[in-house]
Amino acid sequence: MRPGFVLEVDERTPPLLVHQGDGVLLERFPSGARVVYPPLPRPGIGAVEAAVDAALAAPTGSAPLVSLLRPGMRLVLVVSDGGLPAPCRRGVDVRARVLERVLSVVAAAGVDDVRLVVATGLGRRRSAAEVAALVGERVFRSFWPARLCCHDAFDEANLVEVGTSGAGEVLRVTRVVAEADLVVSVEVVRDRGVGGPAGLAAGVAGHMSLRPAHSVSAAMRDAAGWFARPAPAPDAESGVVAPAGADGPDVVDGAGGLGGGGEDAGGGRAVLGRLGAVLTGTLPVFAVTATVGGAVGPAAARFLTRREWEWSLSDQAMALGAVRGLERLGGWARRRAWGQAAPGDYAVTSVGAGEVRAVTAAAWARVDGGQRVSVDGQSDVLVVGSAPFGVHHGSGPSDPVLGTHGALGDVLGRHTGRPVVREHGAMIIYHPMAARFSQVHQPSYVDFYEEVLAESSEPATIEAKFERQYATDPWYESLYRSSLAFPGLHPFHRWYETAPARAYLGEVVVVGGDRAVCARLGLRAASTLSDALEIVSGSVGRDPSITYLHSPPRIVADVR
Amino acid sequence: MGLRERLAGRRVLVTGLTGFMGEALLERLLSDFPDTSVVALVRPRGSHSGAARLTRMMRKPAFRGLREQYGAAGLVELVSRRVEVIEGDLASVPDLPGDIDVVVHCAGEVSFDPPIDDAFRINVGGLQELVRALRAGGACPHLVHVSTAYVAGLRSGHIAEGPLAHEVDWRVEQAFAGRAREQIEDASRAPENSERFHGAARKRFAAAGARTVSSEAERLRREWVARRLVAAGGERAQVLGWTDAYTFTKALGERWLEEHHGDLPLTVVRPSIIESALSRPFPGWIEGFKMAEPLILAYGRGELPDFPASPDAVVDIIPVDLVVNATLAAAATVPPVDQPAYYTVCSGFRNPLRFWELYEHVREYFLADPLPAPGRGAIGVPQWPFAGAAAAEARLRRSELVVGVAGRVLSQVPASQRVRGWAGQLERAQSRVAFLRRYSDVYRAYTKAELVYVDDATRVLHESMDAADQVDFGFDPRCFDWEHYLRRVHCPAVTAVLRRPRAAAVPRRLSGHLPAGSGTLAVFDLDGAVAAASVIESYLWMRLADEGVFGRVRELAGLAAALPGYARAERRDRGHLMRAVYARYAGVDPGELERLVAEVAGDVLLGRVRPAGIRRVREHRAAGHRTVLLTGALEVLTAPLAPLFDDVVAARLEVGADGLYTGRLASSPLVGDARAAFVEHHARTVGADLSVSWAYADSQSDLPLLRSVGHPVAVNPDVALHQVARGASWPIEEWAVAGGSRLVVGSRRERRVLAAAGRARVGASGAGGVR
Repeated sequence: MRPGFVLEVDERTPPLLVHQGDGVLLERFPSGARVVYPPLPRPGIGAVEAAVDAALAAPTGSAPLVSLLRPGMRLVLVVSDGGLPAPCRRGVDVRARVLERVLSVVAAAGVDDVRLVVATGLGRRRSAAEVAALVGERVFRSFWPARLCCHDAFDEANLVEVGTSGAGEVLRVTRVVAEADLVVSVEVVRDRGVGGPAGLAAGVAGHMSLRPAHSVSAAMRDAAGWFARPAPAPDAESGVVAPAGADGPDVVDGAGGLGGGGEDAGGGRAVLGRLGAVLTGTLPVFAVTATVGGAVGPAAARFLTRREWEWSLSDQAMALGAVRGLERLGGWARRRAWGQAAPGDYAVTSVGAGEVRAVTAAAWARVDGGQRVSVDGQSDVLVVGSAPFGVHHGSGPSDPVLGTHGALGDVLGRHTGRPVVREHGAMIIYHPMAARFSQVHQPSYVDFYEEVLAESSEPATIEAKFERQYATDPWYESLYRSSLAFPGLHPFHRWYETAPARAYLGEVVVVGGDRAVCARLGLRAASTLSDALEIVSGSVGRDPSITYLHSPPRIVADVR
Repeated sequence: MGLRERLAGRRVLVTGLTGFMGEALLERLLSDFPDTSVVALVRPRGSHSGAARLTRMMRKPAFRGLREQYGAAGLVELVSRRVEVIEGDLASVPDLPGDIDVVVHCAGEVSFDPPIDDAFRINVGGLQELVRALRAGGACPHLVHVSTAYVAGLRSGHIAEGPLAHEVDWRVEQAFAGRAREQIEDASRAPENSERFHGAARKRFAAAGARTVSSEAERLRREWVARRLVAAGGERAQVLGWTDAYTFTKALGERWLEEHHGDLPLTVVRPSIIESALSRPFPGWIEGFKMAEPLILAYGRGELPDFPASPDAVVDIIPVDLVVNATLAAAATVPPVDQPAYYTVCSGFRNPLRFWELYEHVREYFLADPLPAPGRGAIGVPQWPFAGAAAAEARLRRSELVVGVAGRVLSQVPASQRVRGWAGQLERAQSRVAFLRRYSDVYRAYTKAELVYVDDATRVLHESMDAADQVDFGFDPRCFDWEHYLRRVHCPAVTAVLRRPRAAAVPRRLSGHLPAGSGTLAVFDLDGAVAAASVIESYLWMRLADEGVFGRVRELAGLAAALPGYARAERRDRGHLMRAVYARYAGVDPGELERLVAEVAGDVLLGRVRPAGIRRVREHRAAGHRTVLLTGALEVLTAPLAPLFDDVVAARLEVGADGLYTGRLASSPLVGDARAAFVEHHARTVGADLSVSWAYADSQSDLPLLRSVGHPVAVNPDVALHQVARGASWPIEEWAVAGGSRLVVGSRRERRVLAAAGRARVGASGAGGVR
């Protein structure tokens, strides 16, 4: 594996690849700017099925799965699902391959009462086709729809209380999980801090249990370590952290597990951590966790991960073709190009099984190694691209709300304790910021943009004024339950998670963003990088230190 | 003896008091003739009695000076003391008091192109009735008849003051005018005309249903009658040598008076074109727009590129206060009974204004002080080439041709935001061309008549007054110069309205302002309004979802072949279209269809729904209104939207004995008139009040529905509905479709093929697969 490194731009540096929503650019950066490159993806393990079998036979911190099974027991397989794999995965989903092996062990042990739950948490429920892609066609055919379903966080009749945390939070989870004799959690981990008990709880709990984890103050407490002011004392639960994005264990979270500043008891991660502890405390959980390497596009499109000065002639041609071609394509065709023509070739890097905390910790250690890059000191300006895919995007287009969240709520928090940019520094984001939402997936986003953001872009104001109305809206609830829509509060939660960044940064400029849209989001728009630097020069000076995160693949910056 | 003294103690009856000249006359009488009492013949209007109308009149700008002098209440008191109001109009004048000394008859039909019967009824019949009523009351007053200088008609050269020489028999003409309406009404009902109106109405509103077509045909008939009556007046006048029905009937009125004034001393005052006041009640006072103002404004707005007049023709304009003064002087000078007096009050003889001078003054005025174009600086004014009547006429004809063709083209293209923008522009162009046409027609006769009115008698009358009165009550047209009058007095007064700072029009936003109420319906049309989908589209979602590539091509080809027929059906009658499309559902299993909606087509519908529409539905629900969805789409398809609506009215297909659709509708489709009828019935059933209810629709076939409610809203309307909505000032809204929506779902087979191809690629690259 080639480790990540930091490049200093000089006159010999070629134009660098920058993702801008669903397009790509080749941008020339000013001399002296630092470019953080992620480690190159690890090679995968060849025989995934064999690795799963081995992990099941010799688990960590637990007896082998087969010894936990007995005929007549009620077994529930919880399949983690924080958004469809993004970018979409070529071929059979990793989880489907794990499930096949687990189910064959289960069948051999004579367990008949097996149910599968897709743990979508507060994310959107999946269509039959999406579930089929997730669990594999054979499993789908045998279990759908009677014994395989998506979690419904609003199905009050089927939510059962399983316990109360020390801080008084009541955990209600879906009935099949609550009444199981054994829960097998099947999970794919791509990021440190995501998944584990907290992720499991976030995936199968009712919406009322999860609401306390999502508020402006919870998001601010999660990010307390960023700020120069000393953070409150760490929480006892800090050993296991959970995602702030409650879509499920796969969620890539902002500072989740990476912030390093310790856990505030009121923070969103702490809340989910306590809920996870309640769940694992009351139910026996056996985890099967695979880790995957970072992947951007098809293996053939090597220019997406290679370093620009190492591009071969064909890489250069492909890069130029992609830049020009995507520019020519219309919005719909572009998204289709990313979604279907350029699937990510993930490689499974490890499979672990056993006691959930131990397995999760091992998985995190492995993915962390593939993402961590040392960076010397903070800079004045942070420049980031925006990937055409994100966990919340699913099949929908990347829109301004999720685009803002992706940069401010996610990328900025990818560090081990100190953000790459200094406090009151500036952040420059490449994103088209067009007011475009998927009508099917994001009905509440459309209204959030038209009604809520039109009045204020301030997270705290929005929370005070609008949350109640959207939380109790029967139309969003009906769309969530019967169609493929996010719950009404989904955009609110994403917006709250941008609150720390808004407090931390002095200025945010969007390159290529639609002016009116940016104004509504409370951001500034620029047409080029030089314009953006000109705009921020008022706060960071004419000659600021600049760091560009060359991502995706994902980077965790270890700022010293 | 001064004028005041000569009129002191007299009772003056004034008709047409609420008109431009009457108002100025009353103001003068109230402020300068304290010892003269006024009798006013005022027509009650609506709920306002004659006296009330007079009281309300005191709030007008003309009486500002008096209001300042006496206070508002004091002025009303003064009026009630000095003015005796007699209610009545010229059609039936009540018997008048016997002590009237002077009658000033200002009332008249002053529009240039009145229907012929109205013109005669007022300008001739009114005189006859007035004289009858005077005689019946036993009065023997001095009759001052305000006529117009243009009674001279289409002559040229110098026109002296005196009786007009013509041989036209007023009896014959009046009798003809009386019969004209009846005859034209009869003709309008003749079969060939009825057919014409009905045909035109059908062409425009066929899709909206029979009731809309009939009411449109009837409207066209009434319009035709009105046009014919106007044309009858204008043509008859021109045949006999007058410019239009107005001057024609005024001339015949004079002739009748000359023959029938009997023992009443008669004075005829003939002003030329009366325009804004020179000094009284205040400089520039003008009420309503007269003859030249629309042209001045159109010129100032840059909309008048040329005018068909010869530059050296004399334009005879006279300020209103000069006419009032002359009338008062004439009223005080009683002529012998057998020698009626004639006074022409004009400027053309002694202070002539040529057309090019008028043009120069107005142009200079606008160059120095152009009209503002809100948000776009100032408007530039054109320079007239004076190319002559023929060139101007040719240019006008070209414009008419262009807007006519553009209108026909636009009515054929499908609705889109851009087309609606074009339609709006076209409408403005049409109204501009119509304006030019009207004024060019009206003025053509005037510009042809190059004549000069001699006002020697008026000059003598002026000189006979005391020196002081010549200042206070003067009417010598040489007392002002045109540059001052046009540039400092008249044009500023005329353009004042357009210069007044206006608050920016508040955008009409319904959102968030819906009044709550339980007895209110909100009816939404699904196809085209709430969702960007048509019957054909929703059919496609259904059919193509389960077809393979070849099946899709076959289906699309079949549909393409049938499309022209559908388009014709759509124009003719939406019901035909729906029947034709639904026939293609024959042999489909209802259960299968439901499954398809649940799996894929429902999400396609949600994707095609307009977010603004959904928001509006929800606002109505929040306001407590009962929401109704009307659609020609199949009921199963509306399932995803069902939670938003209290009632869903959709098409239902008949199920045959074999459990499959027969392709026939279970009941006749709800289109056009049927929608209005349904909504009325529905409102009765649920106890709602349609007059406070709302309806949202996008096409002209929904006109009956929209007309049946109190708050109709046109959503992304087609051109026909757009025109109606603008005309009726209904709110017009643009609801956009959210981006990223697909028209047709990927078929199951297509998805499978793609998935298999993906697996094959993975297998080939050696990455391995489960099976």
